[in-house]
Amino acid sequence: MLNSSIPTLALLFQEAERGRFDQMFQAAAHPDLSKFLVIGALLFIIGVAGVLTRRNIIVIFMSIELILNAANLNFIAFSRYLSQTGNPNALAGQIFTVFVIVVAAAEAAIGLGIVIALYRNKETIWVDEIDLLKW
Amino acid sequence: MPLSDYEPLFFWIFGLSAIFAGLLTVMARNAVHSALFLISSLVSVAALFVLARAEFIAGVQILVYVGGVMVLFLFVIMLVNVGAEERGTEEIFNNQKQVTASLIFCFILVGGVLYSVNRGYAGLQAKQTTPPDTLAAQQATKDQAYATSGTGSSKITTDSQTLGNSLYRYASLPFEIASVLLLVAIIGSVMLARTLKQEASADDVDLDVLREEIARDPELARVEPPLE
Repeated sequence: MLNSSIPTLALLFQEAERGRFDQMFQAAAHPDLSKFLVIGALLFIIGVAGVLTRRNIIVIFMSIELILNAANLNFIAFSRYLSQTGNPNALAGQIFTVFVIVVAAAEAAIGLGIVIALYRNKETIWVDEIDLLKW
Repeated sequence: MPLSDYEPLFFWIFGLSAIFAGLLTVMARNAVHSALFLISSLVSVAALFVLARAEFIAGVQILVYVGGVMVLFLFVIMLVNVGAEERGTEEIFNNQKQVTASLIFCFILVGGVLYSVNRGYAGLQAKQTTPPDTLAAQQATKDQAYATSGTGSSKITTDSQTLGNSLYRYASLPFEIASVLLLVAIIGSVMLARTLKQEASADDVDLDVLREEIARDPELARVEPPLE
């Protein structure tokens, strides 16, 4: 009884595994909204990790650009999803992305100006040495 | 979001390269390498924009980010050239405790975000009844309907046209405000990056500070307008 049931179980298990694999392959062969969102989320997390762990203020700025870019990716993906469902406001995501890029450019210009001024006065770009506001 | 033909393959290539380049941006020791990895990450994301049929935004991304912002970053890196980082004498990460705490925070964040994406998307998918193959076929026929380009080898999308239309029709006030923001940013960065000499010649330095600096550097006394 036991002997005969084990191969059946194994076969069942195998069947389930293959079904799962097929499902995964199908999902990978048709990247949809959720895949874009996952890539956006991972880029965002990498950016957050960069902001929190790096000491070089310029690399911190670059990580912020990465975060903004992840947000852009989400906007574009949702815009695409909405246009596919025939939503009349689908382009709002693309319009917002333009403004995010504008703000990112302005932020980079101002931030790098601050970095230059800071480097002239304090001769450092390490954030743990920039502690004027600390007491 | 149907992707037809080879598009899923390109999606995975560019998606993974965006993530890897992002990781290397954060982990590179040399800031110039960081900038170059960030450029490749941004270009990969631009390719993802093309796959999501946002061609205009992809072009803007490459022109503004890669052509403008990243060049600015590279200039500043060259300007505040720090050799200690490249020679490996300086630690590039914060101290151990802070890094551990922030990585734990990041893992919690990634778990939460992925969980909510999964859950939210399951709800969206329940509403969608058309199978992905049909959607991809529909997209392919829609793409075929675009006008052929002059060389006959590709199609011309109407993305820029529709985006420009709706940008001016629905978002003209934010558009103008954005231009004012850029103007303010230009003036602000010029103000911030002035040297002491330039500030003194614009008569923009506190007199006590200026006297102190002149004691150190007599050159400063000769800038216009002269000290009274």
